[in-house]
Amino acid sequence: MTLHDTRTASAAAPQGGPDPITVEIVASAFRSVVDETFIALMKSAYSTNIKERHDHSTAICDREGRLIVQAEMSLPIHLASMTGLMQAVLSRYAPEEIREGDIFVANDPHVAGGTHLPDINYAAPIFVEGRLLGFVCNIAHHADIGGMVPGSMAGGMSEIYQEGLRIPVVRLFRAGELQQDILDLLLLNARIPEERRGDHFAQIAACRLGLRRVGEIAGRYGAALIEQVWASLLSRTHARMRAAIAGLPDGTYRFEDVMDDDGCGTSDIPLRLEITVSGDRAVFDLRGSAPQVQGNINLTRNAAKAAVAYALRTLLDPEIANNEGILECCELLTEPGSIVDCIAPAPVAQRLNTSQRLVDVIIGALAPALPEAAVGAANGANTTAVFSGIDPRNGKPYLYLETLGGGAGGRNDRDGKDGVQVHITNTSNLPIEAIETEYPLRVLSYGFVEDSGGAGRYRGGAGLRRVIAPVDHDCTFNGAGERFAHAPWGIFGGGAGRPGRFVLKGGAGETVLVAKPSAVPLRRDQVIVVETPGSGGYGPADERSAAAVAEDALSGKYSPGFLDRNYPAQRRG
Amino acid sequence: MSETWTIGVDVGGTFTDLCAIESGSGRIALNKVSSTPANPAEAIIAGLDALAQKAGFDLGDVRAIGHGTTVATNALIQRTGAKVAMVTTRNFRDLVEIGRQIRPKMYDLKADFPPPLAPRHLRFEVSERVGADGAVVEPLDMDSVDAVIEALRAEEVEAVAIAFLFAYLNPAHEQAVKARIAAAMPGVAVSASSDVMPEFREYERSSTTLLNAYLQPAFAQYMRTLEREVAARSPVSSLGVNQSSGGLMSVETAREFPIRTAMSGPAAGANGAIHTALQSGVANVITFDVGGTSADVALIRDRAIGLAFDRDVAGFPVRMAMVDINTVGAGGGSLAWFDRDGLMKVGPASAGARPGPACYGRGGDQATVTDANVVLGRLSTSGLLGGDMSLDVDASFRVVGVVAARLGCTVETAARGILDVMAANMVRAIRAISVERGHDPRDFVLMPFGGAGPLHAEACARALGIRQILVPLSPGILCAQGLLVAGRSESLVRSQRIALNAAAGAVLSRLAEEMRAEAGTWFEAEAIPEAERSATLVADMRYTSQNYELQIPVTGALTDLDALRQAFFEAHARAYGFFNPEDPVEVMALRMTPQGARPKIGAPPQRDTASRTPQPKARRPVWFSGPAALETPVYDRAELAAGAELTGPAVIDQFDSTLLLFPGDVARVDEARNILITRGETEL
Repeated sequence: MTLHDTRTASAAAPQGGPDPITVEIVASAFRSVVDETFIALMKSAYSTNIKERHDHSTAICDREGRLIVQAEMSLPIHLASMTGLMQAVLSRYAPEEIREGDIFVANDPHVAGGTHLPDINYAAPIFVEGRLLGFVCNIAHHADIGGMVPGSMAGGMSEIYQEGLRIPVVRLFRAGELQQDILDLLLLNARIPEERRGDHFAQIAACRLGLRRVGEIAGRYGAALIEQVWASLLSRTHARMRAAIAGLPDGTYRFEDVMDDDGCGTSDIPLRLEITVSGDRAVFDLRGSAPQVQGNINLTRNAAKAAVAYALRTLLDPEIANNEGILECCELLTEPGSIVDCIAPAPVAQRLNTSQRLVDVIIGALAPALPEAAVGAANGANTTAVFSGIDPRNGKPYLYLETLGGGAGGRNDRDGKDGVQVHITNTSNLPIEAIETEYPLRVLSYGFVEDSGGAGRYRGGAGLRRVIAPVDHDCTFNGAGERFAHAPWGIFGGGAGRPGRFVLKGGAGETVLVAKPSAVPLRRDQVIVVETPGSGGYGPADERSAAAVAEDALSGKYSPGFLDRNYPAQRRG
Repeated sequence: MSETWTIGVDVGGTFTDLCAIESGSGRIALNKVSSTPANPAEAIIAGLDALAQKAGFDLGDVRAIGHGTTVATNALIQRTGAKVAMVTTRNFRDLVEIGRQIRPKMYDLKADFPPPLAPRHLRFEVSERVGADGAVVEPLDMDSVDAVIEALRAEEVEAVAIAFLFAYLNPAHEQAVKARIAAAMPGVAVSASSDVMPEFREYERSSTTLLNAYLQPAFAQYMRTLEREVAARSPVSSLGVNQSSGGLMSVETAREFPIRTAMSGPAAGANGAIHTALQSGVANVITFDVGGTSADVALIRDRAIGLAFDRDVAGFPVRMAMVDINTVGAGGGSLAWFDRDGLMKVGPASAGARPGPACYGRGGDQATVTDANVVLGRLSTSGLLGGDMSLDVDASFRVVGVVAARLGCTVETAARGILDVMAANMVRAIRAISVERGHDPRDFVLMPFGGAGPLHAEACARALGIRQILVPLSPGILCAQGLLVAGRSESLVRSQRIALNAAAGAVLSRLAEEMRAEAGTWFEAEAIPEAERSATLVADMRYTSQNYELQIPVTGALTDLDALRQAFFEAHARAYGFFNPEDPVEVMALRMTPQGARPKIGAPPQRDTASRTPQPKARRPVWFSGPAALETPVYDRAELAAGAELTGPAVIDQFDSTLLLFPGDVARVDEARNILITRGETEL
């Protein structure tokens, strides 16, 4: 059944299938479902990561596991693990083994399509008229998944076994029945199991909500039309992205950058990219990149693909829909066993730092072809700070994990944004009033790092500084930083931003910690200073307007010394 | 002669609408004048004088004036507020600029949230600190305050916002600084976060306080003029300003908290909708206000509007009680266009008032929703506003024809497609405030208003499975009418984290008692008679590990914690589909809303010629869902008497709106002369 006359509308739908109005109306109903489940999961979850920081995503996939629609606020990195899980489910189970009421759960990057262990992926099959139509999916970052370090995210871990519980594809529900033994296994292997249980329940409820809503839509339009609409959506998005790629001049684009270190002794780790554009295809060759490393900054191939998909959409067509049609355009060449295509038992917890760097590298490569879309290198990190210990107020263990934003690169027509999450992640900070109410910690300072955004016609954004002290107890600090050694570069002559650092202060003085500090004891008279990296500027500093330099001075974001050094002509007036 | 007139005044960016009613006869008088943004009170006064003259009454006979205003919202959008500074806890002046460290659009490198209204060099820090338990960690250093005051003087700021960490638990430091600044700098507006919004989450509280301070100077001037001029003309009238939560506040309160008017206009519409629902004996309504560029939807349950506590105004987060209205860029002027993947979209881009839809003949050359309605014969060709404005039908066919050519279909099919995509957008907005809040739209009556609402009601009702549609007597002036029937109200809150254990009953009762005393003082100040007083109490509750609260109405004793917990479980199940009976529950805030009774107004007299068996004034072909147009009778709404019943297909025209009856739909005019439509078709 179609709402509109498909026979007469076929001229506008070269791919065949339903007319563009029917596709838009039915697609709108599915967009509504994933947005609704996204909010429901956010509001009912227990993990700070989900409820305040929105480190979760919701989606619908078709019966072949192709991503059809993703919630507007979903994270780009989750795009890959969503389809990764689907491939794992479909290769493990024949379609006839999948039953109504099943719910599949997985997290493992090496055997189940995940990108790191704290992201637990859920998929519930949709049955309409007795047939499998597709899957309702969600992903949520749990605050802990076990392993050797609280929070399961610290640097310094060298095997995936240290990073937490590996979950292959398991059925948490079989034909509607909860497998209590599996849930018990999941909970026993994580710190603070009550909180984990709350998050699992929220994910289960989000699956069920999605199934109910899809059922209502199916009741209205029927499975056959829905399948036609989905196919049309994918082919339209695919054609649209191909057309955008065709707009790039044919040729080869190269760029490389160097990661600081892996937290396990390997430093200066290269990422090398060669993009070959030919017609409406772009091939991303990453085979010159470093071998996988012992530390946990490795990317699975899926995660690398997510970074490519993010960069293509952002640089070429920010308004395009996120579905399999984009992923099909991401052609990667990688070396198995490399940092962008790691194999078991490579650890991956801090893979986001490498994803972010890969985005910088793609932007760097395509900048000559896209000078208006390109930006200076971002803070390029996902600076992670984890505090854990026993809360002296109630004797219970606590764990506070946060990832901090930093500078966003200077742009072709304006400065980079100060203190913000960039590229592949967009998680909120936790309110100070929430931190201090929930944890025995005090935030002593929260602001921008002086002189941290690189100079330029349009300057880079500033990094963030947060100073945290334990209250009336000793605790443990874990962290992971990137661009703490290799500064975020400027573009088209812009200056580099300032790198980040962790500092332990108090008692005798201050110590600059390594970029991936592991299990640092923090006494009650000490504090941790987290300074995230700034970002690179855009265009030469001598082209910055005198008014903008005066504003830099007035705001106090830059010292007089920095301004005199970088903008001597403007400062002389 | 007693004071028998009540007046509603709705100030918009372009026009100021006035609506007056005489309580005895039900006589209604309307006036519309151009707004005067420099001092909005001028247009109000001029409009009042003209209205009284036109309708032949004396402003001295006015009992009450309800005032709705978009002045604050427009000042925020246009950035025309005061030079404002901010005072924060030491080491936290960047907090309001960092916000939540997120960007508004994931894939758009150029999109930023707006910078704070107080630039960094106007954000000052003082030495003080309160901890998470409300205790002072570091005492307030008055020397540091005096140093800030010197700087404020040097900068010649017009307003100051004060926002300290944990001030919602312990306001002492904020209040001391506020008093010091007020004493040192008379004439400068000062807002403290503990007054504006004494609630958890420092960024949202700081942002709301900063917005309030920014608006204060100009708003105070506006309120002073209004109060003086109204008092000179209507010495015995009471003047109330409609707030975002739906009730009226005094002029003094409005001067102090202009940010409370951020949703004043839409709240008035919701108020008018509640009035209509009460008249027609309907309890549960989804409202649907369609204008030229956007549609506002809201949900009324048990004759009360839902409230939301976090929304954006002009790109800034504002956290306070506001009517839970969802706005979508879908209106009569919304443009139809094709995206790069070939899908047809409608809105949010709009032809606006200029050039407007092609049929307005002002140069519009793209298909709009209104043009689609013209093509389908749904709008009278004689035009809008009772014939004051005729329509260029050929122009509509031309622009919709372009869409049809691209789709390869007939012009009518294309027009229906435009309306269907528009409806899909509105349905998403309605789902967001109904289904996503745990309410089944099929349990509600759809109430369309605004000029274009009644034209699109059927499509939305059909998509949502809604059986009945209630069309108010005057859909075009429901907002101004809402101001005639608004009662006074105040929002009180105690934000404190209270675990729901044995000790909680006493704490909750004490907080409620405090607020009850505060409400008593407010009732006295507002001179609300004993018999007209009421107050509702709501607890914001959540599981201890969650961060979002559900609003749970407190009906029984606060010491009955089991009942409270049970009510929370039910609300959680409704909102999220599950609850965990073993997990600990906590209260994050108690909210009390004391209110005065709503004024009662009757329906205006009906026209002498109105009949229960009206005759159509014309017939014309109209396209509904079928394969061909139907010859359809057109009625004049003024000719429909109470008790009249019509069966679709039919078109009912009125001064500012057009109502469509689909084949099989049955419309009944009730005693209040609202029209209740029962849809004939149950499904597609």
